[in-house]
Amino acid sequence: MATDEVRAISDQLAADPSSIAFLPLGEALRRRGQLDVAWKVAQRGAERHPQRPDAHDLLARIAIDRGEPSRAQSEWEAVLRLAPGHAAAQKGLGFLRFQQGDFAGAAELLGAALLADPDDQSLAAALGTLRAAVDESAVAAAPPGASDAHAVTDARALFDEILGDQPQTALLIDRDGYVVAGQYRTADGRDLGADLAAQLSGVSDEAERAVEYLKLGAWKQIVFESEAASLAMAPSGEGVLLVATPRSVPLGFVRRLLERSVARAQRWLETGT
Amino acid sequence: MTSPFTAVLGSLIRHRGVSGCLVVGERDGMIVEANLQIGVKGDAIAALSASLYRKARRSALAAGFGEAGFFELTADGGRVCAVGRNELVLVVIGEPGVNVGIIRVEMLRALELFQ
Amino acid sequence: MRLTVAASWVEGPLRQLVADARLELGVLLHPSGQVLGQFGFARSVDVMTACALAAATHASSAELGRMLEGQPFTGVHYVGATRQFWRATVPTTSTPLILFAVFDEESSLGLVQLFFRQFCEAVAALAPAADAEPAALAENFESELNRNLAVMFGRA
Repeated sequence: MATDEVRAISDQLAADPSSIAFLPLGEALRRRGQLDVAWKVAQRGAERHPQRPDAHDLLARIAIDRGEPSRAQSEWEAVLRLAPGHAAAQKGLGFLRFQQGDFAGAAELLGAALLADPDDQSLAAALGTLRAAVDESAVAAAPPGASDAHAVTDARALFDEILGDQPQTALLIDRDGYVVAGQYRTADGRDLGADLAAQLSGVSDEAERAVEYLKLGAWKQIVFESEAASLAMAPSGEGVLLVATPRSVPLGFVRRLLERSVARAQRWLETGT
Repeated sequence: MTSPFTAVLGSLIRHRGVSGCLVVGERDGMIVEANLQIGVKGDAIAALSASLYRKARRSALAAGFGEAGFFELTADGGRVCAVGRNELVLVVIGEPGVNVGIIRVEMLRALELFQ
Repeated sequence: MRLTVAASWVEGPLRQLVADARLELGVLLHPSGQVLGQFGFARSVDVMTACALAAATHASSAELGRMLEGQPFTGVHYVGATRQFWRATVPTTSTPLILFAVFDEESSLGLVQLFFRQFCEAVAALAPAADAEPAALAENFESELNRNLAVMFGRA
C-alpha cells in the first residue's frame, strides 16, 4: 500500500474513529514493519469492535511479528470463540502448535483450515512440512521425544529468513564450540556446521584475551576475509555468532548480516521463538 | 635508518584515530618495526595481535576457506586491523571511530612489501 | 591442565601464566633444583629431570654471561621443530627463581615474554621474605627435591 493510501485511510479513521478503517491501516503498517504503531491502531480498533473476529486476527498477526506468540495465541482463540471454523485463526494456531512441538494438535488445526479453504497452497505446504517433521521425529526415535526433535529442526533453520537463498551461513556456537543453531550446508547437502564451529570458535578466545590485556573493553565484532569467504563473528549469549558469506559479498553487508543474525539469535534465546 | 616498512608505517600513523602501527613476526609475535604514539605498549600489541591474526588465519585455512586477508577486531574501546603475508603481519590499532575503509585499502596495498 | 605446587603462594601466578601464555608444560624452581611448582607433567621422574637440567643450564648460562658481559644471562629461548622452550630468571626479594616453560604453535615467544613480565610482578609481590623460608642447602638438595615431588604428586 502506497504512503498516500495509508495517509488517506489514516485520515478517514481520524475523521470517524468508529469506522473499520483500522483493519486495512493496521495491516498496511504491519507489512511495513511499523509494528508498534500497527499494534496501537489494531488494539484501539479491537476495543471499539470487540465482536469482530478480523480485529482479533489482525492483533494476532501483529503479535507474531512482534515475537509474542502467547499473545497471538490468545487473540486467535478469541477469534475461534467468535467465529468457530475461522480458517486464518485455525491456520495461525496450527503454526503455533507446530512450533510448540504439538504435532497432533497442529495437524488437526491445519487440516481443519484446509477443509475450510482447500485452495490455500500455504496450508497444503504446511501440512506436508508437518508430516515430514513427524516422520523425522519418528526416525530419530530419541528418548526426549518429538518436542526435542522439533526443536533441533527449528534451530537449524533459525537464520533461514535472514540468509535467504544466497550461499551464506550463520551459526550460533556455544562457549564449548558446539553449534546451538544454524547450519552450514555444502553443495552436496551435508551439514558441516559442527566442523566450522570447531575450527573458528577459538578465534573468540584469542579476541577476549587480546582486548582484556590491551584494555580495549568488550569485543563487539570480528570481520576477516579469506580467499573463499568473508567471515564475521560477534558475542551472542554465552557463545559466539558466526556468519560466512562468499568473498564477493561486500564487507559492510556482511556486518549488517551479522548484526541481524545476532538480534535474531538473541530473540530466540530469550523467547524461544 | 629506514626499512622497506618505514614509509607505509609513517603513512598509516597519520590517519585520524590511529595510535599505532607495527610490522610483526607472525610466529614469534615480536616487533620488526613500529610507529607508535607515546604510551602505546608496542610489545603487547605485537604479541597479542599477531597471535589473534595467526589464529584466524589458521582457523580459516582449516575450515577450507583458504588464506586469510584483511582482519578487523572491533571493541568498545578501539579497533585492531591486521593483514599478513610470508610470516609477517601489518597491524594497525586505533580508536573505535577510525576510518577502517581507507586503512584497509592502504594495508592491503602495503602487502606488496611483504613479498 | 594439571598444575601442582609445593608452595601455595606460587599457584595463583603460575596458573595465570599457564592460561594466558598457553604454555604446554614447565616447572618453577629454586636455582638449587628445588621444585616449587609444575604443570603439564605426568610423572615425577620427568619433573626431576627437567628441574635438574633447567638448574644446570641456568648455572652454565649465568656463568657464560658473567664471562662475556660481566653479568649473568637471564633468559634462554630455543626453537625446535614443533616445540619451543623459554627459560628465564624470576626476580624475588631473596634468591631469584627459574622458570622453564615449553610451548608449541598455540603460543609465541612474544606472548610468553609478555605474560612472563606479569608473572614476575605477581611473584615479586607474593614471594615470602628472605628469612621466612630457609634456603635449600646443597647437602639436603636431593631430599628437598624428593619431598616437594612427593607433595605435588600426592605421595607425601
